[in-house]
Amino acid sequence: MPNLFTLVLQITVILAVCRLTGTLFRRFHQPRVVGEMFAGILLGPSVLGWISPQASAYLFPPSSLGFLNALSQVGVVIFMFLVGLGIDPKKLKHQSHAAVLVSHVSITAPFVLASLLALYLYPRLSDASVSFTNFALFMGAAMSVTAFPVLARILTERDMMKSSLGNIAIACAAVDDVTGWCILAYIVVLIRSAHQATSIWVTLGGIVLFAAVMIYGVRFLLRGLERTFHKYGEISENRMAFLLLLALASALCTERLGIHLLFGSFLMGAIMPKEPKFVRYVLDRFETITITLLLPLFFAFTGLRTNIGLLSGPSMWFYCALIILVATGGKLGGSTIAGWLSDMPLRDAAGLGTLMNTRGLMELVILNIGLDIKVISPALFSMMVLMALFTTFMTTPVLELICPDQALRPAPQKISVAEVSLQEIA
Amino acid sequence: MSGTNRKFVFAYAFLVILPLLGLAGILKSGRGLQAPASIDGLWSLQLDSGQLASLPCGKVLAAIPDQAISISQSGNSFVLSFPSAPKITASGTLDGTTLQASVNDMRASKESGCADGQPFTMLATVDRRADSRILAGTFSPTNCPTCASVGFKAERQAAASPKGDH
Repeated sequence: MPNLFTLVLQITVILAVCRLTGTLFRRFHQPRVVGEMFAGILLGPSVLGWISPQASAYLFPPSSLGFLNALSQVGVVIFMFLVGLGIDPKKLKHQSHAAVLVSHVSITAPFVLASLLALYLYPRLSDASVSFTNFALFMGAAMSVTAFPVLARILTERDMMKSSLGNIAIACAAVDDVTGWCILAYIVVLIRSAHQATSIWVTLGGIVLFAAVMIYGVRFLLRGLERTFHKYGEISENRMAFLLLLALASALCTERLGIHLLFGSFLMGAIMPKEPKFVRYVLDRFETITITLLLPLFFAFTGLRTNIGLLSGPSMWFYCALIILVATGGKLGGSTIAGWLSDMPLRDAAGLGTLMNTRGLMELVILNIGLDIKVISPALFSMMVLMALFTTFMTTPVLELICPDQALRPAPQKISVAEVSLQEIA
Repeated sequence: MSGTNRKFVFAYAFLVILPLLGLAGILKSGRGLQAPASIDGLWSLQLDSGQLASLPCGKVLAAIPDQAISISQSGNSFVLSFPSAPKITASGTLDGTTLQASVNDMRASKESGCADGQPFTMLATVDRRADSRILAGTFSPTNCPTCASVGFKAERQAAASPKGDH
């Protein structure tokens, strides 16, 4: 049984610290999520555990972390459902050449550079139980992700959602997220199947069957929910509970199929009807408790797993700097070049590259999966968390430097994937 | 094909398709790389507690109720801890198949009169296999060349090759 006092104390402290740092970072024009990520590190062994090991041991005894983790994972499952809800696959079909090129390059450039970096890091930060292929593919997937919700928030705050640059950025981020999650699902299946009796083809067949049932069966049920909403202007509590049950059942199916809980909830969100008012209604029901209560627990849990003390010695810090350099070069550099080659002004292309370099919460989700399946070591996890924090932190100041007048430029056309963005996340 | 389309096709081939071909080459060339031996996981320890307790500062280690050690590995470096005595930790390095670690005992100076913050050195060897299960070595008091060493053997528990399972 969990020690209830410890658990409630942990939640109280985490919420207070996350709110404080989030508010503080907002004063410096940073998205709240950066402050909350930072709060997680403050509460972990890197800061609190280093300054006061006794306080850290009292507040976060190892025996209590399982319960904190369980709560935070429930939060991330619901969060991934909301992320999927914000993405409209239909709108991604009609992208301009620029959006297609930038979105694909913003995946391949960091992916290939990360794999190249893996040649150097694998003998230094991994071990013989992880194959190079799995290590390199994971590094690629982790470095090519873009934080769709954080990006949507930054664009909204800067009034760029309707601008040409904002439109391309949000479409590319959506493509990156969907592609990144597909690649990651493949890697997780590959790694897990190596240790399971079930053949990888059986697993892949199961996943395809599950996706078909979701897309052609469950989506039909969900349209009924949308119709009810249009008829009555609201959805009953029973139907909302049913929706939540479907999301959780979908998560359980993907976990049972050997991928991960999060893929199921993401897919459930992605197949939801995308009529903006309906999406907004569903988001309103789930957002507050997820974002104000459950996600800070995830940030704290991630912070508890991040130990900057493991980066001892200049060589470790060199690897960390190299990771940040490669991640930024691949994402920012690749997107900038692709944008420029698509006839965008160089300044706009650089602004787009900067936006695409935002990794935020999505990166932390992927890194936690990597640490869980042990494809990355604790030291590498800590380095990658620092990279996520750095690349997310740099977005706003660099964007202000490159595109100070970006909000003034109108969008000429289409795509607004995140008209219904996850407003409060950042 | 219009000029814009041609430019798009060239850019796509150069920035997307070509790097993907490069990725295949990278993955192929990386297969020959060798990473450090795997020691990560939970190990059950077998040693003579009485012999360990007789050594200077040995009582603290010998008193650990559950004879298990947990190793968290990051490449050539690792952190060793005792699940039933979380205050006792060790950090060390792996050189080939040889592990060397310094055990930091936070209670040492108070309870057992050990003046040094790192009273013990662990020296061990492991099989160089992905699923190596046996670790064998010695614990010896640091800065005490005349003291005896206590041999130990550790066997990796269930999580021997779980890279892929939660």
